[in-house]
Amino acid sequence: MLTITSLQVAYDPKVVLKDISLKVSPGEILALIGPNGAGKTTLIRAVSGTTPILSGQIHVDGRELSELSTAQRAKVLAVVPQARQLGGAYSVEQAVMMGRTAYMSWLGRENKTDRVAVQLALQQARLEDFAHRQIAQLSGGEQQRVLLARALAQSTPVLLLDEPTNHLDLQHQTNLLSLVKKLTKEKELAVMMAMHDLNLVSFFADKVALLVNGELKHFGTPQEVIQAEHISEAYQTPVEIVSHPVTGVPIIFPQGVLNHTE
Amino acid sequence: MCFILHIELYLIIMLRQRPYLLNILLLLIAFVFSIALGAVFIPPETILRILADQLPGINIVPDWPNSFAAIILAVRLPHTVLVALTGAALASSGAAYQGLFRNPLADPYLIGVASGAGLGAVIAMTFNWPTDLFGFYLIPVGAFIGAITTVLLVYNMARVNGMVPLTTLILAGVAIGAFASALTSSLMLRTDLQIHRAITFLLGGSPIAGWDPVTAALPYMVIGMGLLSLSGHMLNVLQFGEEEAKQMGLAVDRAKIFVVVTASLTTAVAVAFSGVIGFVGLIVPHIIRLLWGADYRRIIPLSILGGSSMLLLADMLARILLAPSTLPVGIVTALAGAPFFLWILRRAKKEVFW
Repeated sequence: MLTITSLQVAYDPKVVLKDISLKVSPGEILALIGPNGAGKTTLIRAVSGTTPILSGQIHVDGRELSELSTAQRAKVLAVVPQARQLGGAYSVEQAVMMGRTAYMSWLGRENKTDRVAVQLALQQARLEDFAHRQIAQLSGGEQQRVLLARALAQSTPVLLLDEPTNHLDLQHQTNLLSLVKKLTKEKELAVMMAMHDLNLVSFFADKVALLVNGELKHFGTPQEVIQAEHISEAYQTPVEIVSHPVTGVPIIFPQGVLNHTE
Repeated sequence: MCFILHIELYLIIMLRQRPYLLNILLLLIAFVFSIALGAVFIPPETILRILADQLPGINIVPDWPNSFAAIILAVRLPHTVLVALTGAALASSGAAYQGLFRNPLADPYLIGVASGAGLGAVIAMTFNWPTDLFGFYLIPVGAFIGAITTVLLVYNMARVNGMVPLTTLILAGVAIGAFASALTSSLMLRTDLQIHRAITFLLGGSPIAGWDPVTAALPYMVIGMGLLSLSGHMLNVLQFGEEEAKQMGLAVDRAKIFVVVTASLTTAVAVAFSGVIGFVGLIVPHIIRLLWGADYRRIIPLSILGGSSMLLLADMLARILLAPSTLPVGIVTALAGAPFFLWILRRAKKEVFW
């Protein structure tokens, strides 16, 4: 369970996150949404420990993160960074093994537990066939699964993803998110994920947090948060929302599109 | 004929799969030939017998001229050991700087660290030259202070938004390196140092012969390169960037300090006793990376072996090319290294390295 209490972050002198309190339970995906500059990535970075926080607490299963060392923190919380072109002549297996850094001695000697964890992570991210390929030779979607596998190899109860589907095409977006959803349920992970595409959010997220200008405006299920009124106000653009005829999840359109098609 | 070609091909493939074996073989060959070459050529077989004779418990009836043993033990062996150690130090610290800066063109010479170490060494020497043994142990300390100051200056000047781009790194390195070299030259000319020694030092060559520099360098070298060999995993993780390295559980600041200090120590000792030699730290790790991949747990030890062989080869050329006079070895490495540098630069423009 990830608990964020009254979190504030400031890039001197501007306060970029104001009094954020959130809870993510095991087996649950929380999507962070909001316009550009709302503080989604900052929140991910603050929780992961790469941006210093001004005040507030972050707990994982009752342990306060600020009291943990870098290695201890990497054992409770793993991050999947934004998709990007990965260089370097490492094999997929080597890259995923680096996710075990926190468990290794500082010399990086791997033991049997590490190798088992890496094999499991490769399997879960559906990368078994790629284990000995060079990451630089993989497609964008495959590289993103390598970053996911590296985070899974950390064997943490909490997973943070920072806009993991950026730069991916529709097929790879849905593949990656289905995979994350499946693993969240199977492994009882608490997942917090910054996302842009609101329709993907309503399909894949269990909870949604809408951030605007560093403030938490709305927090709840997709049905509760993704409402025309909330979204229009947050994104400063009129939208319409209908329910999916089968699943009932909200689907979002820019206003006017529906009228034109009728 | 065809059969023989087959065996050669098989041998090449086999040795490529055994990088350590290949590099140790190359080093042994280079080592023996470095001792063999000189005003008098001593056959490798005789060298091995003379060396074996030195081992405790082995007695070989000498069938060689008495002068051979003296030449080998007093002159050529210490020279060869010092050159091998220097090559190993420059190549392994070059590899470590490349990993640390995530930049394939970081070389102790190009980023100015060697020149900074040279300045530190010469400042130490002006207090005590020609040296007694105590002075000898102070030279590496001076070189180390010079090296670490330079690397911190260059790093901070070259850093843009948490990255160290190629252009700013080389520009900062060249500027600070030139400044340090100028200071070194003026210091050397102002003091009553022998001008020949000074020039040899600046162009890259050992100004002092015999075992003294070897015994003075050895402890620092063993510690420096030993610790560098342990930093492979940290450097691997750092290739994903400092932020991700931290998220993976690496204590990034501690790792960076560890690498900077050990790489600078290693460079400094090499420079203190062998002068400012460029491009070895660039060429060797690069070839190793091309042949055996990007895993720094391998690159560093292989650079130690490959760097020794490479500098021994350059040193042999330096002794042969204008025989009987000797070129400073730094001139040979620059002649070979500068075109290589330009080649990597062209490739680096096209490819993403890390």
